[in-house]
Amino acid sequence: MSGPFSTPDERDDALSAWLDGELPPERRAQVEAWLHEHPEEAARVRLWAADRDALRARLAPGATEPVPDRLQQLVWQHAPEAAPPWWQGRGQWAAALAVFVLGGLAGAGATWRLQPARPVLAQAGGSGNSSWVQRAALAHSVYVPEQRHPVEVAVAGKTAEESRAQEDHLSRWLTRRLNVPVKLFDLREQGYELVGGRLLPDGAGAGPGAQLMYQASGGSTRVTVYLRKPDEAAPTAFRYERDGDVGLFYWVEAGTGYALAGSLPREQLLALAEAIYRQQPAAASAPK
Amino acid sequence: MSSVPTSFRQQLLGTIPRLRRYARSLLVDASVADDLVQTALERALSHWHQFDQRRDILVWVISIAHNAHMDNLRRGGRLSIVDPQELQAEQDLRGSDPGADVGLRMDLVAALQRLPVEQREPLLLVSVEELSYAECAEVLRIPIGTVMSRISRGRVALRALLDGRSPAPAAQPLRRVV
Repeated sequence: MSGPFSTPDERDDALSAWLDGELPPERRAQVEAWLHEHPEEAARVRLWAADRDALRARLAPGATEPVPDRLQQLVWQHAPEAAPPWWQGRGQWAAALAVFVLGGLAGAGATWRLQPARPVLAQAGGSGNSSWVQRAALAHSVYVPEQRHPVEVAVAGKTAEESRAQEDHLSRWLTRRLNVPVKLFDLREQGYELVGGRLLPDGAGAGPGAQLMYQASGGSTRVTVYLRKPDEAAPTAFRYERDGDVGLFYWVEAGTGYALAGSLPREQLLALAEAIYRQQPAAASAPK
Repeated sequence: MSSVPTSFRQQLLGTIPRLRRYARSLLVDASVADDLVQTALERALSHWHQFDQRRDILVWVISIAHNAHMDNLRRGGRLSIVDPQELQAEQDLRGSDPGADVGLRMDLVAALQRLPVEQREPLLLVSVEELSYAECAEVLRIPIGTVMSRISRGRVALRALLDGRSPAPAAQPLRRVV
């Protein structure tokens, strides 16, 4: 076998690792040069890339489903029995005392924990509303920590022109898929840069939702804006909920549902929510 | 030491959405997948003191799920968990969804399930969970070079299945797993 590979297997390994961004710089350059001269092999790699994207598109949204109570309770209540008790061999009294004390503590912990498990979101404006706000919160917690692929469509380009083209593309794409006008909010005045966006499944019977992600300029704090076409009955009031350290402002305006999520103090998040509110597209046709 | 710290429970809770996603990608059947998730969570809680806080807890928990899955396969005496009836049911389900990109997605799920688990796992970990090869090697406890070749074999095999080139492993065996 000619070129930089000694066997077909070695070639495939290198091409596949190249696709995953796992080659050291020198080898990467070598593989890229080789691919340039072998268009039929490049086409094969493109098919792998398409398969990878299809797998991701098909399976990745699975992580936005709410965690069943059963599993949450398992984590909060589980008291391991397999671990050898530290008091072993210290006599009956010590053992009895330890069981009593630990049992009491564990019991108290479990009760205290179970009550506020998901207090606010569970009661957020009735069943129709809570579910999409929950999905917004979940989508936030799933994608915000992503280092390599926080968004599906990133807006950062090499030039300002390229970035603008990406932004246009993102906005058009989401508008078409959501069937509501999607505007990319400018939060630079508030110190946040747009990272990009992604399309998300939004529950049974509903169209897709979209998530826009913003990152603090020069920082790592991220906030997300979830957009969707609201159910007819969805209340329009501007509301605030908190789930753990994630705060959420959500509202419905001019035929679009918005949920802003971020691990920020209420006031800071509110300033962002207000900026979005001011920028949101006006109603195309005011609903009567 | 005897009682699991609340902070650890919180960390563990945070892994559940992605742990469930991984289990479902691996197993198709949602209830079987949740059983695996439950087993992994229980084991993680029982061994919480073995978790090194400098590591990524998701990688650690997925690695526990992988071991549990391997235990299940060994116990069942099966190397592959493909159940044709289950697959058909899954396909029917997908097929009845009018909004879905039926042809492609159905074929993809079916094809994925026909890959040997040795290829399916690293392919999913890298493609869907977006782990690096190093993290993948940690989860599966195999060398990075092995991760690399299993993924590339998996890609070749998946593409062949999607092209309809190797309909049955018996008729045209997939290349040997390294």
